[in-house]
Amino acid sequence: MSGVLIVAEQRRGELRAQSLELITAAQAIRRAGDAVAIAVIGAAPDALAPALRLAGVDEILTIKVDAAEFDPETVEGALCAVIAEREPDVVLIPHSVDSFGYAAALAAKLRLGFATDVFNVQRIDGELVATRGGYGQKVNVDVDFPGKRTVLLALRGNVFKPPEQAASPRITAFPAPAIASRSRSRDFIELPAGDDVDMTGAEFILSIGRGIGEEANVGQFRELADAIGATLGCSRPIADAGWLPKSRQVGQSGKTASACKLYIAMGVSGAIQHLAGMKHVSTIVAVNSDANASIFGVAKYGIVGNIFEVANELRKLF
Amino acid sequence: MKIMVAVKQVAALDEDFELQGDDRGVDPDFLIHDLNEWDDFSLEEAVKIKEAWSTPVEIVAVTVGPGGADEILRKCLAKGADRAVRVWEDAIEGSDPVAIARVLAAAAKREAPDMLFAGVQSSDQSCASTGIATAAFLDWPHAAVLTQLELAPGAKSAVFRRELEGGLLHEVEIQCPAVLTIQLGINTPRYASLRSIKQAAVKPVEVLSLADLSLSAADVGESGSASRVRSMYRPQKGSAQLIAGDAAAQAARLAEIIREFKGGSP
Amino acid sequence: MSRTDAATRILFEAFPTAEVRLFYLLSCVAIAVFGYGVYVQIRKYRRGAAFDLDGGVWRRLADMIGTILSHRTIGRRDPAAGAAHRLIFYGFALLFIGTSTITLQYDFLEPLFGVRFWQGEFYLIFSLVLDVAGVALVGGLVYMMYRRGWLRLPKLDYARPDRAPGDPDFDRPQYRREDWAFLWVLVIIGCTGYLLEAARLVWLQARPDVWDTRWWSPVGAMLAEACVSLGLTERGGALLRHGLWWFHGLIALAFIALIPFTKVKHIFTSAASLLVRDPQAAQRLPRIPESQAQPGVQKITDFTWKQLLNLDACTKCGRCHEACPARAVGAPLSPRDVILSLRDFAKSTLESGAIPAAAELDVHGKSPGQVAQETLWSCRTCMACVEICPVAVEHVPIIVQMRRKLVEDGAMDPLLTKTLQTIHKTGNSFGESKRKRAAWTKGLPFPVKDARKEPVDVLWFVGDYASFDPRNQKVTQTFAALLHEAGVDFGILFESESNAGNDVRRVGEEGLYELLANANVAAMAGASFKTIVTTDPHSYNTIRNEYPDFGGKYQIQHYTSLVRELIADGRLRVTSPLEYRVTFHDPCHLGRFNKGYEAPRDVLKSLGCELIEMGRSRANSFCCGAGGGRIWIPDPVGAEKPAQNRIMEAAAIPGLEVYVVSCPKDLTMFEDALKTTGNEGKFVVKELIELVREAVPARQSVGAPA
Repeated sequence: MSGVLIVAEQRRGELRAQSLELITAAQAIRRAGDAVAIAVIGAAPDALAPALRLAGVDEILTIKVDAAEFDPETVEGALCAVIAEREPDVVLIPHSVDSFGYAAALAAKLRLGFATDVFNVQRIDGELVATRGGYGQKVNVDVDFPGKRTVLLALRGNVFKPPEQAASPRITAFPAPAIASRSRSRDFIELPAGDDVDMTGAEFILSIGRGIGEEANVGQFRELADAIGATLGCSRPIADAGWLPKSRQVGQSGKTASACKLYIAMGVSGAIQHLAGMKHVSTIVAVNSDANASIFGVAKYGIVGNIFEVANELRKLF
Repeated sequence: MKIMVAVKQVAALDEDFELQGDDRGVDPDFLIHDLNEWDDFSLEEAVKIKEAWSTPVEIVAVTVGPGGADEILRKCLAKGADRAVRVWEDAIEGSDPVAIARVLAAAAKREAPDMLFAGVQSSDQSCASTGIATAAFLDWPHAAVLTQLELAPGAKSAVFRRELEGGLLHEVEIQCPAVLTIQLGINTPRYASLRSIKQAAVKPVEVLSLADLSLSAADVGESGSASRVRSMYRPQKGSAQLIAGDAAAQAARLAEIIREFKGGSP
Repeated sequence: MSRTDAATRILFEAFPTAEVRLFYLLSCVAIAVFGYGVYVQIRKYRRGAAFDLDGGVWRRLADMIGTILSHRTIGRRDPAAGAAHRLIFYGFALLFIGTSTITLQYDFLEPLFGVRFWQGEFYLIFSLVLDVAGVALVGGLVYMMYRRGWLRLPKLDYARPDRAPGDPDFDRPQYRREDWAFLWVLVIIGCTGYLLEAARLVWLQARPDVWDTRWWSPVGAMLAEACVSLGLTERGGALLRHGLWWFHGLIALAFIALIPFTKVKHIFTSAASLLVRDPQAAQRLPRIPESQAQPGVQKITDFTWKQLLNLDACTKCGRCHEACPARAVGAPLSPRDVILSLRDFAKSTLESGAIPAAAELDVHGKSPGQVAQETLWSCRTCMACVEICPVAVEHVPIIVQMRRKLVEDGAMDPLLTKTLQTIHKTGNSFGESKRKRAAWTKGLPFPVKDARKEPVDVLWFVGDYASFDPRNQKVTQTFAALLHEAGVDFGILFESESNAGNDVRRVGEEGLYELLANANVAAMAGASFKTIVTTDPHSYNTIRNEYPDFGGKYQIQHYTSLVRELIADGRLRVTSPLEYRVTFHDPCHLGRFNKGYEAPRDVLKSLGCELIEMGRSRANSFCCGAGGGRIWIPDPVGAEKPAQNRIMEAAAIPGLEVYVVSCPKDLTMFEDALKTTGNEGKFVVKELIELVREAVPARQSVGAPA
């Protein structure tokens, strides 16, 4: 009938933080009288309930299943049951690797309204409207769901802030139906660190370019990157010169900073080949002594100045 | 063994694109088409299986799209697909991933493959939905974001690894037939030389209509979709905001930006 | 009859008939062996792919004879070798003609027609000439021995960059053995010839017609005097003569018999190679014939007979090895060793009775005789090798055709793969939208004509780098301003222009090249213009030399020629002459490829610059390293780049102020190298256009309206 159902994610016995962001999003679209419930599915869901005692949550549903780790058919089966019983208007899930595995199947099976990678939700004249990106994030697209009783939305991470205040929602154990899954989780494998740094997965990158001058200066920026918690990247000339391994190169011939949300470019002029790897990043800060450097054309913030001085000052603050 | 690979012709925007009059789409003049990057990897994965086993493996590339999409099918044929199938009718225009999935599932029922591969997402709309929705319509086991796959022709199950956030891998065993969506980097897609693409152009593309798949207009288009586009518009984008002051002041503001950014992540 | 009139040499004098018959028999055997050897070689060439030679046979013959007689190609960059080889060549040729003349009379004219001419004055002058020829021959050979054994020139070092120690064909001692054997055998033949002369003289000293005319064979005579003074008697002379005769004869016959099996065959193969030379070998690459199923070369039999002949023409002179910029910076490529590997491979596979199975004919790989991928991908297609080869070996087309196979198999560096896909998709290597191609025109204070919409005098083919690279865009805008001020009626193709394809072709992606060439030819067909000008030497080369094969024949010049014209006829006036000390880097595709050396120099002169040439200039200009698709392939980290090597060469010029280039890729590569070699601040890298701009400050346009 109504209400918002949030589906939390858990992995290896821990709640995934992105789940909490959904609570904030739920507040933006709940109507007066709507309840916000958050479901957690796992072999030991009770253990995860305390982390969900946050403002904005009215009810925690713990759903105990056989599969300890994420399994698409298990989650689909459990959610089918919850949605059938609770009939929420909106179901919010994280747009994540796990939800890639089940969300569309659930939407197809239950004929739900459905949109993914949503970064804004609102009600316009009572209608639910979600905003997502289109054409490689170059346009924004507002979508709605005429005639859909229940809408499933997968929300982009790092857009909504998790609630900070605690609360005391009631906790209900929801009985899951018997689910015969056709997949079986086997193991988790950590990748060795090495310098197989994952530039494509890095969300915060500090890149250095020719402006740093000599190889001897690389160390200073490596240290700065560590201090501010960024992954150190570079433009082509640096990698070509061997000052940093090729795995750290961002650009047409290096890696694309696909997951990057904050990109600080120091001493990078912004040659087209480099821009190809990072100009899509939502927040780019360019630091360069040349006010005419191309990088300023794609940056959100620009600092025209001596990169060493700025770097030193920045280091002091972390 | 037959592997069906669902592929999409994606559209990238030209630099100075213009929106259509109804503000619900982009003027087609400004669209640059190409094979979806993810589909390169899923096709390559299928071809690798074909080359690794002596059992004959037939690879069928299937797309839902208008005539222009034949170009990407030719690329698939050049890269190792054996046959190409395209489904289209004007009614399919405006379909979202769920509607497309309905069509793909019908095509799969007709082809009766042993496995169905798709890309994790498309580079234009990035919904990450089509492959998995197709699995629901077929009621097949499914998994997404595969970065490694062990599959033998005729086997009852396959073992794969999916790539989680932060570089963690999750190993799973899945029963076959199944729908698997393939992630970038699982392999190195082979280069299809222009010559091989030209030679592939003589191979026929089977074109199907909705009727051929026992579907109707209600199953596709806006009526068959799970969402509707209300409006499309340019996001607000300004030029670089220059941070003034001396190095210390600039660094201070930069530190703020960094902290603001980090404040949002776990 | 005077002594002179009677002078002659009686062949086989005092030889028993049996010995004469034996000699003729052995001669026949030698000729038979020679013939068999020639048959094996020709059979080998015929096992290659078909090839149609174009151009008139007579013109080719004339060219070949002219080249051989002048020794023009051997003397280049190594005048000492040229001189020594001239001595050897003319010496040997004369001696050969001499012996043939004797045979002509002795075996044909005299017995059949009773004609005798080899006597009297003719015989004496003949003897003198041959003695001198012998001196030349031996002298030249001794110099070559000195060159190899004493000078130890680097280019004669068989150390190869495309194999590592431990590989079976890393060291090639058989080459050294063969080289020295060749030299020694010829020297011995020459020296024993003289000794033979001397011995005969000593033996026949009693005969005035022999002894009194002995100084007509000066070397023989000197040796005879020496022998006599050492106590050699007539009888001793006779014995010595008999023995030496057989010794000399047998060695000579063996030499002849073994010609087709040894380095000596270069006498024929090098000449033949010159005969079938393609003067446009590297500038205009061959298309893939429709009939050919697989693009490129996979097996040794995929090479044409002409290419197999080229392989045999190589004399291991090492000039290409020396000139190659990739080898110079330590890349695993030596053009010489590509040719020699393939030659050894052809020898081991195609000289036997039956051709081995297809699998054994694969020339790609790291086994002996094969060519590795890294070797092929190291090539910059700068044609320094083709240009300097004295015997017209065409290395670049061989490398490109082998690359075609690699491209078909996708065996390329990932960045190169991506770039080719990008070029296919967007028509340029930057991945920028076609619409942005002419974005650089927006910054100009005057409109640039669209050659597709209105007729223009000059179509300016801009090129990728000049259109999209920010640094080069400034040069492009400057050139536009200069053209405008000079009143030149010019236009561009805007977004209908695609990458000209020169480097795509040289990478080996022939299919993509055809697409680009056809697209550009179609675009130009839709425009109306008289001539084409381009600021990009790569585009210049392919449009000028290769587009005619695609139906596009135009009058095209590189901007340096046009600017020279504009300055000469006053449309551009140098009002602020520059007094810089400059050096000029000849771009490969303008200079060596198309002989465009003078125009940029004339321009620099009219600008008032002081031009100091680098050691490697004009035809010997040292490639910046970007050609052959290498600009799309990452360089190995830490290795020297050709551009760095070149900048260091320029840095050695005292007081150098400007390093002048006239190619967009050169500008990019050298500005980078200036920084990475630590020469930033010592001198600057500038495009010639920028210097012209300085010397011709901006003013109102003259003449034709904008």
